[in-house]
Amino acid sequence: MTGFFSNVVEIFTTGKYMEIIWAGLKMTLIISIGAALLGLLLGTVVAIVKLSSKKNKWLAIPRVICNIYITVVRGTPMALQLFIMAFVIITVRGFPQEIVAILAFGINSGAYVAESIRGGILSVDIGQTEAGRSLGLPAHVTMLRIVIPQAIKNVIPALGNEVIALIKETSIVSMIGMQDLTAAAKLIGSGQNLATYFAPMMVVALFYLAIVYALSFGIKCIERRLRASDKR
Amino acid sequence: MISVRNVYKKFGSLEVLHSVSCEIEKGEIVVIIGPSGSGKSTLLRCLNLLEEPTWGEIWFDDKLITPVDPYLHPDLIERTETFRSLLAAEGVDNPTARARVIAKIRQEDLLKKHEGADFKAQSQKLFRDNFLPTNQVRQRMGMVFQHFNLFNNLTILQNITLAPIQLKLKTKEEAIDTAEKYLSRVGLLDKKDVYPSTLSGGQKQRIAIVRALAMEPEVMLFDEPTSALDPEMVGEVLDVMKELARDKMTMVIVTHEMGFAREVGSRVLFMDGGRITEENTPQEFFSHPKNPRTIEFLSKVL
Repeated sequence: MTGFFSNVVEIFTTGKYMEIIWAGLKMTLIISIGAALLGLLLGTVVAIVKLSSKKNKWLAIPRVICNIYITVVRGTPMALQLFIMAFVIITVRGFPQEIVAILAFGINSGAYVAESIRGGILSVDIGQTEAGRSLGLPAHVTMLRIVIPQAIKNVIPALGNEVIALIKETSIVSMIGMQDLTAAAKLIGSGQNLATYFAPMMVVALFYLAIVYALSFGIKCIERRLRASDKR
Repeated sequence: MISVRNVYKKFGSLEVLHSVSCEIEKGEIVVIIGPSGSGKSTLLRCLNLLEEPTWGEIWFDDKLITPVDPYLHPDLIERTETFRSLLAAEGVDNPTARARVIAKIRQEDLLKKHEGADFKAQSQKLFRDNFLPTNQVRQRMGMVFQHFNLFNNLTILQNITLAPIQLKLKTKEEAIDTAEKYLSRVGLLDKKDVYPSTLSGGQKQRIAIVRALAMEPEVMLFDEPTSALDPEMVGEVLDVMKELARDKMTMVIVTHEMGFAREVGSRVLFMDGGRITEENTPQEFFSHPKNPRTIEFLSKVL
């Protein structure tokens, strides 16, 4: 056990190891933030297309595409999607790997976000829409001013979940040779460095935990502010 | 003011309205009663197009409000040779027969075969001149719902001023002035900055009425405004409606409050099975009902 603690101290005090961890942390955060934003954007668009009126003929084909997108993305493993993005779709040499990862994770996340947002919008009582329309407000104004603000409240917990899952999921980028936080632990623990995995894995686990904890705290604060109009 | 002509409404294979026709004049207070499932609410919701009639027309201030193919505008159909010959074949000339002929022409697409090429251009112009877009109809018809439907994410004042400001009918200051005027009329001015979730049902419904009134509508539609309320709160909502009646507001009210219908209504429509089966002044309707179904219904509810 003393070996473990001295290893932890060694990691935090050795400049080389900390550099590896910071670089890995930076990579994990870049991929997570980029993918979360892309996922939110994609998810919102897909949710709106899927919720559009069946009478709208212009969106008939986009609706089919959205359905296929959600089915395929949710029905195949993330690691496989990452491999396909890195080795089949983007084969340009020297193409920034961060962008490959952001695209793969963002596209994956978008499918889940779309379903969460769709559920959130559907959970708003139809009476709210009817009241808006009965006052002569156009559909998009009713959506923007009345339905979406209420839907966001219902969606925040699910979106928070999705982002947390996404951050942890990014640990598989080491499979395409990227140096993220998880890969950093492996590197520090390897033979030419500490030659033990226990301490570096625990340190890195702590970093993930800290990120997720900070994020859940932030989500809680947002939720509390959004619930101002509720009695609960 | 509102003219409903031969309206049908189907949900899938279920026919909720069957050939409903009625006229609502300015200043009238029309009360629609009937058993549940008789199509009362659907008829009311057709008036401001929350439901779109499957067939038939609704006119508001001599403008057509139901969306029809411009090519099938009824006024234009009535000018055609095809219409005249079919009406002659009917043997009678009254609004029902005319509506039936128009429905037949539309259903069987008879005009394309019989009328000339410039007919279409002519009909589109007529449609443009005589059609009132749905959002404009709704701005001029206030609606009050059974479950209030106040916007939960907005304060009371925002609930009332959102539409007038968004639709640029009033400046923000004017909208707030109007809202406060109506709020004090219903005795709820002190609630202007709270959210709907803190109010009682009766208060919510009075606010919902104010929200509709703030648009300065020409007609008010009420869809069972007191059905979701505790008995002791029914009175406060009915009082607001009575005050509106005194101000000569045109109202169409779907309700189960027979006492209110008799006291305030200027005409009662009784609906059963998707049809208007009886129509009379409240005095006549409640003391001398004619239709056996009306008699049965009244004997249960009175």
